Amino acid sequence: MGLTGLEIYKQLPKKNCGECGTPTCLAFAMALAAGKGALETCPYVTDEARENLASASAPPIKAIKFGNESVLGDETVLFRHDKTFYHPTTLLIKVSDKLTDSEIEAKVQEIEGLEFDRVGLHYSIDGIAVVNESSDQDRFSQVVEKVASATSRSLMVLSENPDALKAAVPGIASRKPLIGPATFENYEAVVNFAKEQKVPVILKADGLDALNELVESAQKLGYKEFVLDPGSRSTSQTLANLTHLRRLAIKKKYRPFGYPVIAFTGKNEPLDEIAEASVYVAKYASAIVLKTSIKAHILPLMALRQNLYTDPQKPIQVEPTLHVIGDVNENSPVYVTTNFSLTYYSVEGEVESSKIPSYILPIDTDGTSVLTAYAAGKFEPEKIADALAASGVAEKVNHRNLIIPGAVAVISGKLQEKSSWKVVVGPRESSGIISFVRTMQG
Amino acid sequence: DKYGHKPLANKIRVQLPEPTLTDNASDWARLSVELKRNLPYEKNIEIPLSVLRDLPEILRQANWDVSLTLTDLDDKYTITRIEPGNEQPPYGLAIDIGTTTVVVYLVNLKTGAIEDKQGTYNKQAKFGDDVISRIVYAVETPDSMQEIHQAVIDTINELTDKLLARQNLIQADLTAAVVAANTTMTQLFLGINPRYLRLEPYIPTVSLTPSVPARELGLHILPEALVHSYPSVASYVGGDIVSGALITDMANKEEVTLFIDIGTNGEIVLGNQDWLVSCACSAGPCFEGGGINFGMRAMSGAIERVEIDPETLDVNLTVVGRILPVGICGSGLVDCLAKMRKAGIIDRAGNFQLERSSYSARLRQTPDDKEFVLAWAHQAGGDKDIVITENDVKNLIRAKGAIYAGIRSLLQMVAMDIDLIDRIDIAGGFGNYLNVPDSVQIGLLPDLPAEKYEFIGNSSVKGACLALLSQKAWREAADLARKITYVELSIGTTFMDEFVSALFLPHTDLSLFPTVEG
Repeated sequence: MGLTGLEIYKQLPKKNCGECGTPTCLAFAMALAAGKGALETCPYVTDEARENLASASAPPIKAIKFGNESVLGDETVLFRHDKTFYHPTTLLIKVSDKLTDSEIEAKVQEIEGLEFDRVGLHYSIDGIAVVNESSDQDRFSQVVEKVASATSRSLMVLSENPDALKAAVPGIASRKPLIGPATFENYEAVVNFAKEQKVPVILKADGLDALNELVESAQKLGYKEFVLDPGSRSTSQTLANLTHLRRLAIKKKYRPFGYPVIAFTGKNEPLDEIAEASVYVAKYASAIVLKTSIKAHILPLMALRQNLYTDPQKPIQVEPTLHVIGDVNENSPVYVTTNFSLTYYSVEGEVESSKIPSYILPIDTDGTSVLTAYAAGKFEPEKIADALAASGVAEKVNHRNLIIPGAVAVISGKLQEKSSWKVVVGPRESSGIISFVRTMQG
Repeated sequence: DKYGHKPLANKIRVQLPEPTLTDNASDWARLSVELKRNLPYEKNIEIPLSVLRDLPEILRQANWDVSLTLTDLDDKYTITRIEPGNEQPPYGLAIDIGTTTVVVYLVNLKTGAIEDKQGTYNKQAKFGDDVISRIVYAVETPDSMQEIHQAVIDTINELTDKLLARQNLIQADLTAAVVAANTTMTQLFLGINPRYLRLEPYIPTVSLTPSVPARELGLHILPEALVHSYPSVASYVGGDIVSGALITDMANKEEVTLFIDIGTNGEIVLGNQDWLVSCACSAGPCFEGGGINFGMRAMSGAIERVEIDPETLDVNLTVVGRILPVGICGSGLVDCLAKMRKAGIIDRAGNFQLERSSYSARLRQTPDDKEFVLAWAHQAGGDKDIVITENDVKNLIRAKGAIYAGIRSLLQMVAMDIDLIDRIDIAGGFGNYLNVPDSVQIGLLPDLPAEKYEFIGNSSVKGACLALLSQKAWREAADLARKITYVELSIGTTFMDEFVSALFLPHTDLSLFPTVEG
């Protein structure tokens, strides 16, 4: 575990000068503890403190960068709700050098097409792993070159034959591919080559004991740009390995395992393969090499990755879109509230028990309650009028009555002006909705 | 005592040699030479033009025996008043500008005694009950800013005039003033645009507020007297809290103190000599009677204690001033919540248990809400039954949940257990009436031994007095404001998780309240 804010604070100069951009030293220490600040921004920290803090706050898992802005590792938690997962799993598609030129072209073309736009977000595949399965060194180099020229995505170059790597990699070294695997048989050659080419390298051994030994041997070569592969290819064993590696790195600060981990899928049936890959995305794989490159297979995996790597440190909110309660018709009342879940569900509960089918429009107030949002200027008439227009509710009802929370009666005039709806001030408390709406309808 | 007596303004009497044809130095040179001989420190002495204008006449009328009032701040002395020699002490004002009430203490700067006090409602109330609506009003037009600024000046002047009349003093006798107020009140008092206080990311215009001559604000005190405003920490942790924290002396102790102002803003400061964190948990006005059907301030006619017979649901009330009840104040509400839970009228979530209405007509359903009758109309001072509704109960639970969640969030921020708190100081008008065991019962305050708790009343005005009488304390206030780290509760999920867990009587996690029976 990292240092707490108070532990870091003890080492700081306590001048509260504000030059680091935070108003107090303690605030700066808390930002450092949360991994949101850099010690360098403090101009007064002593060399001694810098040394103490740098070693103590060194990340438990090293960040390994390769290819086109792919970042592996640099994670700090086992469960995303404890803080967040930072670097989304890098997804690569395998291309074998056993394929013919036209097959390779088709495959790369398909991979290049793996770009999606969904719910306002853009997903894309990260890279291609070229695998030397032909046992033909020249063919491997050709394929690497061919793939490299057809894509600008991150590249992984895999061969257990050091000579094959030595032939294929130098031509694309400037694109910083991830290479490997280094095994007990070849590690001196492969790691030294990676060091020379300044590219990261995969260390592969069967099981954690063997991997531990391999890492320690490889570290003696004076290089530390490693990605670990515990060798397993079955889902259950890989899951176990991924979990152990992450736990040991974070909970025990076990340095030999303080590197990102790569997983290779074992299933051949694409749907099984995606289910398998989903496990690895959820369970700490920093990179996954997939076989399938069909859009319909990849999209759900990317959506899952997006969900899991979303920062959970956000207020609890509902979707700020028009919500339909019951069997609505053109006379149904329209309520407006905020997207704070506690607020929204209090309103929804009462509207449901009123037994009158209704529309509720929660305004996006960053998940704050009605009065909190009003206080912070996030529940302004202009914003509500815009959301109302965008919701399309005007086409769904034939009246123009908008019910607003009683606590913000003060905005009714301006809202009426901006929206040209008749603004009806509802009760202050949602518990008053039932009697309010009956009186209104009666 | 630890700060020593060295007020922000003092008075010194000097006898000047009369000028002659051979001793023909100017009046001011003559005066400053004599002053330097009498003053303890080598500092520049300044005299404002307005004082200089009257200097020649006063010196001669007084026969060269004069009393000088000086403000003594940082690197210089400033002469603010010259009068014919007399021994009358200088006075100062300690001013607490609350959102709702304004309190002014008249302090004898020579003896340190509080000679008199006055308090009244803040005249800004007509522009809104809370700081938010006042900010909204203030930025509407340039005129509204001036209007709302003037309203608080008028409030203070009215109190000052009363104090002067009662003590037979004149404006010029008031030679210094210290103001402690929340950040919004401070900015409105100084006439600084408050617009961005309430907008994300909630930035105040100034933390270390400059001291200004009273003339610029139009206060009814010596026009040259300096008016000092307590520095603030953030938009919602202001000078009133810095002032209170200074009173608790928490920043000089090894033990960890939790300082809570149980009021609308619910400011909390936690820490000791090494570190201090603060937050504002926006409890709302419940405990001051706001937002509750029969809620009121703790004044005559307010129910302050409630007993409920768990069998018959009969009620026994204690009313402030021993008159017929007209409403219920904060302490009564805390009590009410604890006793309604004990009598099984509400469940842990605050839902009314209407099936118990067969025991008593006091528990009933109305078209709008469920309610419990505390006093029947014929027993009350008004013509209506005094009731507490389910909505009132839910409001109270939210308010107490916010305070407790604020405490827990600060503790989490510094990774500390609740047991490590050595002392809890409670401030606010409400604090005078608060019953600790009741507060623990409902989960408003942490379940810690009662001897750790202490009420410190209006610590804001006390801190203003302290600074008025001690330059050391005033300098420390500035350090303190700079040292307190403000924690923004709207970032992350900590506060919201804690808040939801605290929306229960006493809490979702009962192990946090070992002494509360299940």
